[in-house]
Amino acid sequence: MPAQLVAGNSAVIIGAMYAGCDCFFGYPITPASEILHEASRFFPRAGRKFVQAESEEAAINMVYGAAGAGHRVLAASSGPGMSLKQEGISYIAGAELPCVIVDICRAGPGLGNIGPEQSDYNQAVKSGGHGCYNSIVLAPNSVQEMCDFTMKAFDLAFKYRNPAIVLADGVLGHMVEPLNFPEEAVVPNIDTSWAVSGNSATRHNLVTSIDLDFEEMEKHNLKLQAKYDRIKQNETAWTGYRLEDAEIVLVSYGISSRIARSAVDRARREGMKAGLFRPLTLFPFPEAGIRELSEKGCRFISVEMSNGMMREDVRRAAGTEDVGLVARYGGNLIRMDQIMDKIREVA
Amino acid sequence: MEKSLLAPGHRACAGCAMPTTIKLVLDAAGPNTIVASPTGCLEVTTTPFPESAWCVPWIHSLFENPAAVASGVELMVKRRGHDTNVIVIGGDGSTFDIGMGSNSGMFERGHKILYVCYDNEAYMNTGVQRSGSTPFCANTTTTPWGKESLGNPRPKKDMPAIAIAHRVPYVATASIAYPVDLRRKVKRALQVNGPSYIQVNAPCITGWTFEAGIMVEISRLAVETGLWPLVEWVNGEVTEVKKIRMLKPVDEYLKTQGRYRHLFKRPDGAAILKQIQDMADANIAKYQLVD
Repeated sequence: MPAQLVAGNSAVIIGAMYAGCDCFFGYPITPASEILHEASRFFPRAGRKFVQAESEEAAINMVYGAAGAGHRVLAASSGPGMSLKQEGISYIAGAELPCVIVDICRAGPGLGNIGPEQSDYNQAVKSGGHGCYNSIVLAPNSVQEMCDFTMKAFDLAFKYRNPAIVLADGVLGHMVEPLNFPEEAVVPNIDTSWAVSGNSATRHNLVTSIDLDFEEMEKHNLKLQAKYDRIKQNETAWTGYRLEDAEIVLVSYGISSRIARSAVDRARREGMKAGLFRPLTLFPFPEAGIRELSEKGCRFISVEMSNGMMREDVRRAAGTEDVGLVARYGGNLIRMDQIMDKIREVA
Repeated sequence: MEKSLLAPGHRACAGCAMPTTIKLVLDAAGPNTIVASPTGCLEVTTTPFPESAWCVPWIHSLFENPAAVASGVELMVKRRGHDTNVIVIGGDGSTFDIGMGSNSGMFERGHKILYVCYDNEAYMNTGVQRSGSTPFCANTTTTPWGKESLGNPRPKKDMPAIAIAHRVPYVATASIAYPVDLRRKVKRALQVNGPSYIQVNAPCITGWTFEAGIMVEISRLAVETGLWPLVEWVNGEVTEVKKIRMLKPVDEYLKTQGRYRHLFKRPDGAAILKQIQDMADANIAKYQLVD
């Protein structure tokens, strides 16, 4: 099949359908609503479940319920809705259930507006809910990746029995680009022996996050931390552009990384050795890759539509406070000349 | 005529019933009023920062919160010994769905707050998704009609009954097609020493899809077909009902709107129209709408 022109939000549902996702639970919020619309159109037709919940909390708790039964479940939201979902995500992480949540980030704080921002970074990557847990966070930067990373998120969620977040933004959700449909649909053949299925065989599979015994609760926490360490070891992913001889490294993800990539080309034309380091996973954050570049003497600029949330991670990985920041807020995209000014300043 | 407390220049669609609802409510309530509103068309069109069409104090919070925000406001108004009206004006997504918990709390605690729902029967601000208020078989973006779907599969939630079950002393339904009736109901509600709830039929030009000039006519047809009875309940008892002088079949109302167009096209539509007529007939019998 030739590539089709598709919007990012639609690509999410295409990826989810190919990944064998069988339930979608949503609530309207701009700029993520098209995911809800597409799910309502295609899920019932394919014999899958679609529910528009009465609230964001209800939607994420429906996810909790269906995930506990071992199903492949998807939810989608944006800024304020993601904030409301945090309690549920914490419970899902605590109970070690797999699910995928797509965040089409908008501008904040408060109501903000419906333009793009990357300010959900902390509540996705650092886990906005209570307790010591982490979600796996993937960061697409194209319509193709909106589809592919949604599929990948299901794999990771089930591999580790953990929530996985696809962190995108209002531009990625609405941008229309050619999409090559996945080669084939996944036939879920996964071990769900841990799930509760409403029969005597699975009655012992308690899905819960409560343990009143302090020692036992600590053991559970340590087990979770060990799992996150395994995820860090196995699943960290990033990609580079013109990094071989780079002296100035732009670190950027999502839609901002597309602009940063163009800035790298322009800087090169102006004789400055710039390169792009693009995390594909934000949790786990690709620390080793940045550390290696730092040890080679590279200097870093974090290019993000937030107030240096990611820069903190870059600083930690690079082992230096000296990391530049190019940021925009309020629904505005980063401009190329902003990045160029910063590169010239650092060079 | 006195100056409206909702200034012109707001950004609502031409032919939207929501600004009309606000104007009528504020007109009856007067300037000694504080309004709390959730996110929705109202908030987006009347208060794009730094502008505001509001000539009374107005406070915004997200979808699920206006009744809680208003509870805080009302307590401080009382503490200061003021006699200021505290009114929530919110849409049906907030009122029927995500805000239900805080509505219930506000009703049950007995705050002196008037809650006005401008009911346009779906999430219009985010792109016409169904809500708990969407009527049976209406087309929305999350209940699209097609081969295997007739539109929204469920009837509308009975929100006045939920308010009455909370022992809310004053509950009423209203319509922008009956402005005198609506203003009178707002005035009565504000006399009550406790919570009150008014649900206003407020047609949405983009979600219901109709010609801009017929908004009032459509709302009147909702009343005249028995689909939107105008009723007042005081302490749970029906105290007033607007009688229908010229009863009309539901088709006349449904035909005016694109969201029901499929019912007139498909062969199984007739049976659905009959079901909707039965709903109207049940209202007519229940509230004795026709003499």
